[in-house]
Amino acid sequence: MSEKNLAVEIKDLVVEYRTDTGVVQALNHFELELEKGKTLGLVGETGAGKTTAGLSMLRLIPDPPGVIVGGSIKVDGEEYLTKTEKEMEHIRGKKVSMIFQDPMTALNPVFTVEDQIAESIALHEKVSKKEAIAKAGDMLEAVGIPRARGKEYPHQFSGGMKQRVVIAIALACSPSILIADEPTTALDVTIQAQVLEMMKDLKKKYETSLLLITHDLGVVAEICDDVSVIYAGTVIEHGSLEDVFNHPRHPYTEGLFNSLPDLDNPTAKLKPIKGLMPDPSNLPKGCAFCPRCEYAMPICETEKPGKSFRNEEHYVRCHLYENGDAKEGRIGKI
Amino acid sequence: MSEQKPILEVNHLKKYFKTPKGLLHAVDDVSFSIDEGRTLGLVGESGCGKSTTGRAILRLIEPTSGEVLFKGENVLGLDKEGMRKKRKEMQIIFQDPFSSLNPRKTISQTIAEPLKRYNMTSSHEETRDKVLELMETVGLAERLMDTYPHELDGGRRQRVGIARALAMNPSFIVCDEPVSALDVSIQAQILNLMQELQDKMGLTYLFITHNLSVVHHFSNDIAVMYLGQLIEKAPSRELFANPVHPYTQALLSAIPIPKLGRQRERILLKGEITSPIEPKKCCRFAPRCIHACDRCFNEEPQVTDLGNGHTVSCFLAEK
Repeated sequence: MSEKNLAVEIKDLVVEYRTDTGVVQALNHFELELEKGKTLGLVGETGAGKTTAGLSMLRLIPDPPGVIVGGSIKVDGEEYLTKTEKEMEHIRGKKVSMIFQDPMTALNPVFTVEDQIAESIALHEKVSKKEAIAKAGDMLEAVGIPRARGKEYPHQFSGGMKQRVVIAIALACSPSILIADEPTTALDVTIQAQVLEMMKDLKKKYETSLLLITHDLGVVAEICDDVSVIYAGTVIEHGSLEDVFNHPRHPYTEGLFNSLPDLDNPTAKLKPIKGLMPDPSNLPKGCAFCPRCEYAMPICETEKPGKSFRNEEHYVRCHLYENGDAKEGRIGKI
Repeated sequence: MSEQKPILEVNHLKKYFKTPKGLLHAVDDVSFSIDEGRTLGLVGESGCGKSTTGRAILRLIEPTSGEVLFKGENVLGLDKEGMRKKRKEMQIIFQDPFSSLNPRKTISQTIAEPLKRYNMTSSHEETRDKVLELMETVGLAERLMDTYPHELDGGRRQRVGIARALAMNPSFIVCDEPVSALDVSIQAQILNLMQELQDKMGLTYLFITHNLSVVHHFSNDIAVMYLGQLIEKAPSRELFANPVHPYTQALLSAIPIPKLGRQRERILLKGEITSPIEPKKCCRFAPRCIHACDRCFNEEPQVTDLGNGHTVSCFLAEK
């Protein structure tokens, strides 16, 4: 399908954190495609570069030490890497919005929540203070908080409610793209279920394209259409939810699934991935997963694997698949 | 099974905290027991009192009232010295491996600390050997002896925490969310390690967590807490197959399952945990419960025994 209607297209993105002790390669030729109106799950472990990817879309990488070395980030066909800071200010919160992981620290403790929602509206839309506050009230109701509580301060809200406020701020200007960085990680499961359900509804209502950054494959199964698995700054497998969950091709993806307790077979021994993530300031020369991989071959140590396709959408970066063909699985059955 | 005698018995344990707004009932009349060599999972959401329960058992927080029988002896009646001795057998692994290790001590010093404090070893060499042995048990390489916590990743730090807990050869360990701060691949490594240690050393665990799929995998029995009270307890398999309390049902239905085609009908709870300060004498879950009736708001449900070790506190089960 070359006719894809892409909301976001990231190609060859290289981001480094240059510190006194060395250069950390956070993203290595990172790529990502988010289709309009869909939800893409970006899955990976701590330090894989998930958050860096989200932040670079908004050009919010702390600089120094962060440097976007090269690549391209196109949102609705517009290149973001060449935009000026002024232009980016108009984009953030209006066209592209971000929800951060920790609702406890994302809100300003000295302003009422309606003021914080209204701030974003007043910044991007030509409205009076009064209209902005009125709209903030609407947003609160949209996320299931009574309008009257808008006059309260963040500390008067529970964790789940704070995360709703953060979502209300992010959606206040009806952004076409929403980046949600671990939006439910800090929440309890019953509250997580409420928030996920609400995000699904709001996404439909506002026709938002959603990039969901998470480490939780259960959450991905719940709300994503497509999945990209990231390891050491590179997407190592990408496909539809069905592709990745039912026909995983990369040994790392297999390892992630095997590390999770199976509710159907709770006594089965877990099969963790051995070892640890490689030091991002000293990545292996070949495949970054090679030192931990059960299937590693000599070539994996020296050469970075290219893409092999299982279908038009589903690809994997792994030497197990030769000649770019990943139709046949070569890893153990899950 | 039932002939086995429990290593730990907790009876009517209470912990109230004084707050300016009144008494906070963090743990309110919790009773359970654990048989030797088994694992009891204690689950619930933030603020339900599960960590407080774990700490109250070890008297890291002094309980308000109740009884904690460890091998038949009431721990709460011990004096300071008696408690110090008792702690050899009762240890704890903390949630956050980033804040539970002293940043100014090398990991061998951290692991050696309890050995020295309890005079378990007679010489430097012996201490060193014992530390090395413990490090090997938990899978830490010898070269890490003189490293500091900040040089280690979360998984290794948690291994240090486990080694420290094992130093005294305890028979019972409270594990307070030991894997919550870790990535899934590392989490699986630590869970496997803890299971191996249990098999090898016959340890008994109280496994406190909010992660229900982990607890199902790890525990023989599961106890569910809500607002300071224990509302349901059953063998793991039984609890997952036949949850009786509406809260347990909602909690289980909210677990995100990493498989396709498994998305079930969700029981979406409205609202959130209410305040544990001076709670009314009624079912504490009633305001969020879809089955709540007048009785639930006026009376406190008692424990109903459903047989096979399954107990629940809910009026629905009484019929």
